[in-house]
Order: sequence, then structure tokens, then C-alpha cells
Amino acid sequence: MRHNLARYVYGYAVCFAFAVFLFSPILWTLSTSMKRPIEMFQWPPVIVGEPSGQHYAAIIADKEFSSALINSIIVSMSTVVLTMTLSIPAAFGISHLQKKAMRRLLTLVLLLRAAPGMIYIIPYFLLFREIHLIDTRLGLIIINTMFATPLAIWYLSSFFDQVPREVEEAAIMDGASMVQTMVLISIPVARSGIAATGILIFIGSWNEFLFALTLTRDEAKTAAVAILNFMPFEGTDWGRAAAACVLMLAPIVIFVPFIKKYMAGPTTIGAVKG
Amino acid sequence: MASRRLNERWALIAPAIAMLCAATFIPIAAVLVLSTLHYDIAFPDKISFVGLDNFKRLISDSRFLNSVAVTLVLVVIPVGLQLLCGLGLAIALKEKLIATRWMRAAFLLPSVVPPAVGGILWKLFLIPGVGGLSYLASLSGVHLQADLLGSRASALAAVILVSVWFGVPIVALLLLSSLESIPDDIYEAASIDGASWLQAQWCISIPLVLPAMGTVAVFQALEVLGIFPVIFVLTGGGPAGATEPLNYYAFLTGFTYLDFDYSAALLVVFTCTLVCACFWSIRRISAGRVGS
Repeated sequence: MRHNLARYVYGYAVCFAFAVFLFSPILWTLSTSMKRPIEMFQWPPVIVGEPSGQHYAAIIADKEFSSALINSIIVSMSTVVLTMTLSIPAAFGISHLQKKAMRRLLTLVLLLRAAPGMIYIIPYFLLFREIHLIDTRLGLIIINTMFATPLAIWYLSSFFDQVPREVEEAAIMDGASMVQTMVLISIPVARSGIAATGILIFIGSWNEFLFALTLTRDEAKTAAVAILNFMPFEGTDWGRAAAACVLMLAPIVIFVPFIKKYMAGPTTIGAVKG
Repeated sequence: MASRRLNERWALIAPAIAMLCAATFIPIAAVLVLSTLHYDIAFPDKISFVGLDNFKRLISDSRFLNSVAVTLVLVVIPVGLQLLCGLGLAIALKEKLIATRWMRAAFLLPSVVPPAVGGILWKLFLIPGVGGLSYLASLSGVHLQADLLGSRASALAAVILVSVWFGVPIVALLLLSSLESIPDDIYEAASIDGASWLQAQWCISIPLVLPAMGTVAVFQALEVLGIFPVIFVLTGGGPAGATEPLNYYAFLTGFTYLDFDYSAALLVVFTCTLVCACFWSIRRISAGRVGS
């Protein structure tokens, strides 16, 4: 079986086909973002011409889009901080419960995320209108946090499960409280998992579209929605739209290698193997 | 001592869980209530209770019935294709080929692309005549000029294609982790018995990952309608409602036509169906997580 030709033919053929399918729209956009206007719709297309930064310069100079990018950064980072503040203690507590209570709580936490995001937009729109949170970063941070916390609890509790219990017990024997044990022992031990969770929350908030679309207008609009400004009903400026897409993707691409292990979500942690 | 520690645990857990429950159940209850009211956002004082009138309206709303059919198509076909393609890719990635490690990471890229950006990428790629797809087609000798987003069937096919593009990487990753948990000795035994590689895949890999595929199918069924932003950018639900699933119709009803009470009724139907369909599997999944 070791020298079976079929597996290599199959393996390379499938990988090649998927590489074309998965990457070609991204590479096409990257290429478009660097084309000069005259090359834009030339046929046959100029895949790699003389790279031009003019579209990037134009969107950076675009006040509306650059302030949307800043909003995205602020909202995403604040969401990470707020979600962590809420979910680290909760996940630590859950991971130290009896199995039965733990299972019930984790089921509840997952169920809280089962309803589609769409159902929340009407009530939050009406509520935010009353308390003047429409079109504010704070409003977006609140709703993104509420959406990120269940998954964060899931991930984090599994990372806290992996912290050796003897180490924690030793700290408690020495008179440390649960909070002290968490801060001094468990969080440092689980730090790489916590960092990965933070990255996942950041990406989730960075990509979030529905709430940003319905709960903001101009001031707090994030880049994921503002990018549509480049696509008016008539006459999209494809060079700028493509450059904006590349800018939105850049921070995410950098993170992928670090979170690869954790990306499959809560399902990898046990259930899929069973 | 033990009970003091138990109290400490609940003190750590309670704030997050209480906040989550409030932030989840109160809005859902509000939508339930709203779906039984007559509510006009222009005249918020004139609220009246109308019972099930909004739901009765659903039955005779042909646009609702169409959106239910589209929803089914946009869940069943993409999830099926994702599982099929994901399995094919996972089997390929399990083999130790040149650069598999590099590919495993790179192939994940589409699954973290912001959905709205994904919509733009594909809209650019599908521009009739001069887009990337036309170029790829011309490389293989096919002349492709048609506007895929212009006709009902091809627009639906395009949305399905993008949906598969977003979902395949994650499905492949999940199935790969399931494939890798199959012990090597099973394959060795099969090879000693004279099985070829293809036979081993067909008789060992595929049957053994089937249970995992069930779990993955449930997760993707919940995820797959998250392509709302893609539809928003790519087709706007058109042409003539061909790519308008229930959540998109509910969105338009609420935020374009400002018909909030009817939109709430649509969302109640949508959510109940999803949550009921997935409740049992969520229980099983958390059992698996704790049991391991």
C-alpha cells in the first residue's frame, strides 16, 4: 500500500483542484487591486502587471473608509477585552464543577448561541433606539460581546480542563482562594489557549456584518459594512473595492497559522472523534 | 471548606451566565410578543394585540412560501456538497504529500474571510465575460459570457457555490481530525489482506467517519444560513426572489419595509425550526465534550 500510485494521483489531483477553487477568487481580487485602470478589464486579463498602489492610496485617503477601519479595530479589540473579562472566570468555574452540572451548563451555553443572529436585530434595534446606543461603538461592542461569550466559554473551559489539577490543588492547600489560583496558576498555564480564543473573538467581531449593518449609520460604521460604499448600484469602482477587500483580509491572514488548531470550533473538542 | 469553594465557583460563573441569559432570552421573548402584536414603528403608541393574525398572513404569503423553499435548497444542497467535497479533501490531506502541512493551513483561509468581503470577491470573480471565472473557463477552452447572477437557476447555483467555498475548509478540517483518529493498524491489516488504497478508503475511512459527518452536518446546517451578507452583496435575494431565504426575507420585511411585527412572526417560525432541528444534537455534542 505504501507505494500505491493511486493515493498520490488522488492526493495531488484533489489538492490542486481545491487550491484553484479556494484561492482563485482571492488571488483574482489581489491582482485586481493592483491593476491600473487601463488594465482593469483588458482581455486577455493582465494577471500580474506592473503593480500600482493607486487604489490603496485612494481608499486610505477616503475619510469614510479609513474611519470605518478605525472603528473596526476599536470595536474588535474592546470586544475581545470585554468577552475575556466575562468568560475567563465563568469558564474556569465551569471547568471545576462536577461532570453533571458541567454538562448541563455547557449545553445551556451552546443553546444560547443556537438561535440565529437575525432574531436579535429587531429587539436590539428597538432597545438601542430608546437608550441612544444606535450608531455608537459601545452598542456594537455590547452586542458583539454577547455573541462571542458563549463560544469563548466553550473554548476556555476546555483549556482550563487541561491545566493539571495537582498544581491547582497545591495552591489551594497553601491557602490560595479560587480567584487567586485562577489568576496565578491556571491563566498562565492556559495562556496559549486563551490567546487563540482572543484571536478567534477578534476575527468574529472584525467580520461581523448583520449588527453593524442594522445598528450603525455613519459614526460607528465598521469596515465590514463600509466596504459596500465601493459598490454603489451602478458603476462599482472595482480597483478600490478589491483594494478594500485586501485590507480587510490582511489582519486575518496573519492570524490563521496561530489558530489553525482551534478553528474547527467546539466540535473538535471531543465530539467529532466519538 | 469544600462548600466554600463551591460557592466561589458559582460566584465566578454566575455573572456571565446571568448576563448571557438576560441578553438572549429577553430579546427572544420580545420577538415572540411582537409577533402577536400590531406594531407600526411610525406610530409606536398604537399597539394592539392581534393574536395569531401575523402567522395567518404567512399561509397566504407566496413570497414566504418561496423563501421557505429557497431556505431548504440553501441548507440541504450546500451542506451535502460541503460534506462530500470536505471528505474528498480530508482524505487527500491525510496523505503525507509534499507541502500538506502548508496546504492544511492555507486551505482554511476562506473560512475566516469576512462574509461581506467574500460576496465582493465572488461578485468580482463572476463579472460576465471579463471576470476570473471567464478567464479560467477560457484556459480550458470554454467561452463563457453569460451573466450567472442574471438568471434564477444560475444565481442560485452561484450562491450555493459561494456557500460551499466558505464551508468546505472547516468541514475538511473536522473530518480530517476524525480520519486521523482511526488507528493505523486497521489500514495495515487491510493492506496485508491485499486491499488497495482505494479499497481501504472506501471500506475503512468512509464508514468510520460517517458518525462524525452527522455531527458536522448539524453544525453546518446552523452555520450555512450565515451567508446572509453574501446574498446581500451578490444577488440581493434576486432575481425575482430566487436566492431569498427566510432570514433574508425577514430582514427586508423588518428593515426595508419597516413591517416589524410581521418580520417578528417570520423570525419566530425560522428560529423555532432551526432550534428544534438541532436541539438533540447540541445535547449529544456537550455530552461528548464532557465525557472525553
